Amino acid sequence: MQTFAVHPFEAPENAQSIRSDLRAFLAQHQPDKDPVLRANCWTEFDPAFSQALGAAGYLGMLWPSQYGGHERLPLERYIVLEELLAAGAPVGAHWIADRQTGPLLLRYGTEEQREKYLPGFAAGTMYACIGLSEPGSGSDLASVRSSARKTDAGWVLSGQKVWTTGAHISHAMLALMRSEESSERQSGLSQFLIDLDLPGITIRPIIDMFGTHHFNEVFFDDVLVPHGALVGKEGEGWKQATAELALERSGPERYLSSHALLAAVIDSLGPDASAEVTATIGRLVSEMWTLRQMSMSVAAKLASGVDPVVEASIVKDLGNTFEQEMPLAIQAVLDADLADGSDLSRLLATLLQVSPSFSLRGGTREILRGIIARGLGLR
Amino acid sequence: MSENREQLAEMADGLFAGLRGGEFDTFQTQIGEAGFGLLLVPESSEGFGGDWGDLATVMRLAGKHALAWPLGEHILAARLLHDAGRHADALTLLAGESSIPWGREAGDVLVERDGQILLVSGEVSAGESPAGEPRDMVAYDWDRAVPLGIEADLFGLIAFLRVCQTAGALDAALELAIEHTGQREQFGRPLSKFQSVQQSIALLAVEAAAANCAAQGAAAALDRFGHGGDARFEIGAAKLRSNIAIKVGAALAHQVHGAIGFTQDYPLHELTRRMMGWRSEGGNDAYWSARLGAQTLEWGGQGLWDQITRRTDPG
Ligand SMILES: Cc1cc2nc3c(=O)[nH]c(=O)nc-3n(C[C@H](O)[C@H](O)[C@H](O)COP(=O)(O)OP(=O)(O)OC[C@H]3O[C@@H](n4cnc5c(N)ncnc54)[C@H](O)[C@@H]3O)c2cc1C
Repeated sequence: MQTFAVHPFEAPENAQSIRSDLRAFLAQHQPDKDPVLRANCWTEFDPAFSQALGAAGYLGMLWPSQYGGHERLPLERYIVLEELLAAGAPVGAHWIADRQTGPLLLRYGTEEQREKYLPGFAAGTMYACIGLSEPGSGSDLASVRSSARKTDAGWVLSGQKVWTTGAHISHAMLALMRSEESSERQSGLSQFLIDLDLPGITIRPIIDMFGTHHFNEVFFDDVLVPHGALVGKEGEGWKQATAELALERSGPERYLSSHALLAAVIDSLGPDASAEVTATIGRLVSEMWTLRQMSMSVAAKLASGVDPVVEASIVKDLGNTFEQEMPLAIQAVLDADLADGSDLSRLLATLLQVSPSFSLRGGTREILRGIIARGLGLR
Repeated sequence: MSENREQLAEMADGLFAGLRGGEFDTFQTQIGEAGFGLLLVPESSEGFGGDWGDLATVMRLAGKHALAWPLGEHILAARLLHDAGRHADALTLLAGESSIPWGREAGDVLVERDGQILLVSGEVSAGESPAGEPRDMVAYDWDRAVPLGIEADLFGLIAFLRVCQTAGALDAALELAIEHTGQREQFGRPLSKFQSVQQSIALLAVEAAAANCAAQGAAAALDRFGHGGDARFEIGAAKLRSNIAIKVGAALAHQVHGAIGFTQDYPLHELTRRMMGWRSEGGNDAYWSARLGAQTLEWGGQGLWDQITRRTDPG
């Protein structure tokens, strides 16, 4: 038995030139903001940056050119993602549209939906958010209660979503709704792509424990959306949503989103660091390097058309654990005063506070391990 | 996996499974006949012409089947002797540290001294690994040592072998854990149906996966940079990670087995006892974390990422 069959990552011939082009782009466009914003970079919204990235051809990289895409190779895109994350670029605004919603539309969407959204997604000017969680539905996503009622004029939506990252800056939400009245669990659910400026939609900020505004609660009060807002097949929402989640489990963001801290600590230490600190850096680098091998293997497998569910969950679980532990491991050996106002202390303090969320967002640790266990045939 | 490598894996899997519980001498004959000793020797010299990825595959299977034979050391020695224009006839081994597995059975041993690779023999005093295998000290007779005039990173190569063996051993422990918890019933149902047991096994799978990916990553670096020492970063990262995988994985495997896993009758001990020993061989956590840390600090923050990526990019 080999549960994680390693797939060789054949980096494209132009890998180095992709990297150097992107580094040049970043040198020009990376906003010269507070370096602390690089700490948890795939949640950092910066529409101007996203737009520049789109204009340079780094969004919708795999999509057909008729939708504003660039028809590049999956592993070319992988390299771009690596570079953006390692540099701590503020990719949050377009992140979900580029990573999840766009690919989902290409897979399940109608022609009309593709034409309406994909070019904006690829240009970095339109953003999307994910409406899965509800007050009563977190881990148990199949208990979704927000409803969609079919009428002649369209679908009427009611209910509430919660923890919706970026709803306040997004143009559309891909939401999972109960489209069949009194249906149970996984059946009778459908996905809708909802324009967030429609009447009846209220978006309220939820301030996270760190004091920042990333997620929101979103209320639907008899919101009328056209029939064309249904994505894929009516009643197939569960299958589609789980496929959507699989798109986001194993990417480099699972171990690189806090890379800025590791880089900053290394730079601040220099070669004369104490033996204890040096050893901690060595161990973190060993884990980071291994995660890269794992993530690249899954990327290569995905690129060859296989859907490695278990492997992807393994990478996410391990990557979350690594990213969660990194600030604590650094804090444990570094002689830092978290109140001294230095960039490094603030970076560290930021990640100490946000890192507990890493094993929640995108599927909790326990749920992922359940998926792995199922893949191993235990359930 | 290439077709060649698949065939090699099939052959190794069958052979090593069959050798379980057998005698050293039989192994010698069968492994010799199957040609595994010449795995890394080029075809032009009547070897198998394998690469480091092939070696990783074979050593992974040796780890999986708890092969009680110094296969990796022998394969490496044969390759290095070939590099030096010689060939291995008796059981030539390679030593990366003071004690050598089955040193008592060795004809000659390849060791590194003052930056030179030497072919040497000496007087053996018997020792034993935690797995109960021979692991002997050799008092080398330096006066009769033959310098080979080649470059190789013996210590790193031993570390590489252990990483690959660990990958196989952890997968085998995982397989045992799944089998056992599927059969053993407590509280009226199989253990594998309890969520906390499932979570432990999932974590074991995660660690096995990390060790497997680390092994392949190190093999890819050896294929790219050769065995002269340029792959030390990857080998070190892989060894350190696989040491962690053993620490976490072995404990989990035993936990879900309960008392049965702690017996001589059940095969888990063949895996864990070996793995516990491997953690010291080819460099322990302190050794590699100090090296990797120092290397990283020298590179700097951006330099680390530059290096990591440049080292896998083509060209
Ligand atoms: C930063 C952040 C951003 C987010 N962004 C979005 C977003 O954009 N869109 C969106 O829809 N959601 C989003 N979420 C929500 C996230 O998907 C949920 O938090 C997650 O699914 C868990 O749900 P919950 O918070 O209700 O926890 P609960 O489901 O109440 O679970 C609490 C704990 O119990 C454990 N648990 C629950 N059930 C089981 C079980 N059967 N077995 C074992 N353990 C169990 C969980 O693993 C967890 O540890 C975000 C969350 C965070 C933290």
